[in-house]
Amino acid sequence: MRASLAPEPSTGSGMDALLLRSLQSYVLDTFGVASWHEVCREAGQTAMTFEPMLRYEAGLADRVADSAARVLGRPVDAIWEDVGTHLVTHPDREGMRRLLRFGGQHFTDFLHSLEELPGRARLALPDLDTPEVSLDEVGPDRFELRCRSHLRATQRVLAGLVTAMADDYGALCLIEVGSGDCTTISVLDSRHARARAFDLAMPEH
Amino acid sequence: MRADVTGFRLKIDSMTLARFMPMHLLLDADGCALSYGPTLALVLQDDAKLGARFEDLFEVRSPGGAVTVHDVLARAGNRFRLWPRNGIRSGLRGHGQSLSGDGRILLNLTFIDLIAAVRGIALTDADFATSDLAREVLFLAEANAAVTQELRGLSLRLEGARMAAEEEAMTDPLTGLRNRRAVDLVLDRLCEGRANFGLMHMDLDFFKAVNDTLGHAAGDFVLESVGRILRDQLRAEDCAARTGGDEFVLIVAGRTDPGTLQGIAERIIARIREPMTFEGQECRVSASVGIVRSVDFATAEATALIAAADRALYAAKHAGRGRAVMLG
Repeated sequence: MRASLAPEPSTGSGMDALLLRSLQSYVLDTFGVASWHEVCREAGQTAMTFEPMLRYEAGLADRVADSAARVLGRPVDAIWEDVGTHLVTHPDREGMRRLLRFGGQHFTDFLHSLEELPGRARLALPDLDTPEVSLDEVGPDRFELRCRSHLRATQRVLAGLVTAMADDYGALCLIEVGSGDCTTISVLDSRHARARAFDLAMPEH
Repeated sequence: MRADVTGFRLKIDSMTLARFMPMHLLLDADGCALSYGPTLALVLQDDAKLGARFEDLFEVRSPGGAVTVHDVLARAGNRFRLWPRNGIRSGLRGHGQSLSGDGRILLNLTFIDLIAAVRGIALTDADFATSDLAREVLFLAEANAAVTQELRGLSLRLEGARMAAEEEAMTDPLTGLRNRRAVDLVLDRLCEGRANFGLMHMDLDFFKAVNDTLGHAAGDFVLESVGRILRDQLRAEDCAARTGGDEFVLIVAGRTDPGTLQGIAERIIARIREPMTFEGQECRVSASVGIVRSVDFATAEATALIAAADRALYAAKHAGRGRAVMLG
């Protein structure tokens, strides 16, 4: 295993930084600080904190997640899906949920907006190495979501995020992550439950 | 072949107009309201009445001096800025056009500060035309706020790490006292500021004997104990540093009275002479101190003061150890 000495300010990857920070928040909030430190040690990381605005060696997020899988005894795919859900549902990260809700008034608008998500992310962070996302409407209320990135994590994170956003919109859907890079989303009932409120105005702190 | 657009007429019903231009205002040739877009009606609230005059609805901010809609269109070409008169502090920008035929006037408005308007008037998605970039602007504002907040957090964490590193770089790890580097900085600053202070150079007596007979752990114990004594005897504004093996430099801020400085040095020596017990073994050391005062130097300069304190220490050692000598 390569000794990874993050961060790498000029050549590294911003997506790795964002995913590492998300993984850190998820493990800290769910399993506590001792587990997180064990994950870092297992991954050969001396610093116990990842900075979301810095860059890290490309691929580091996947490697640290592999360590997390060993330490937590959970499959790495399940961990990344949980990270995606945690990003949207954790009360401290209301900002992320809001940013995603700008994608559309209804869940299907939101699904279509996923294709625009990388472009929107680059509006805020112009040099972010965003994944390529495509969404195809393959049948009535059936969608195929594909995600191309140097990180295995992104497809699972996106699946977890879509699952959580379906809840947010009050939509009932079936989300299956295929063995390839394709996630299938079937919207069974777009008004299954009451959507969580979304006010266009930014909450004042 | 190019289509002839000059003679082109488009008939549009009011529902479609409202959907495409939710911030429009249609006025008759006299400048009285014929219809309001639904979002503009939300902004104007009770003022949004049919027949209301343009100048009763809005204060014209630019072009300057314009009051009526005819002034506005004549003076500004077709671009202007307004404040609603109902007290809602939401600037509006727009353009307008007299429609050919019956002279009706169509204005289309937009918010200058979209974020404040959305918050102040509680607008929703449905209040904007689908083609409007409002969502994008609001998204960007929030994304920017989030990025700025992260960067601020990063700066704070880096500043904390920098301060800790700086503190570490100025600290002697064994005793927790300052180190040589810190002394140089403090002395330079005091000299530059022409401040008054006493400078002491202190050296332990019989320290080598403790090290040689009881071992380095005992020697380290003695040094740590001396560190505690110096911290006890000096004030927060003073500076106590370990600058070498058993060498210390003390800077006593604001003190120039010879008796006071001599007293401080003797008190420190007396404390150091008290026996220290390390793992059942008694360690006996003493200290010699050389003292100089900044006021004895015409131009205080760090290197000259250090050299003088060194000479004073040498004199103290020469006079029989365990004492403090001041160089006048």
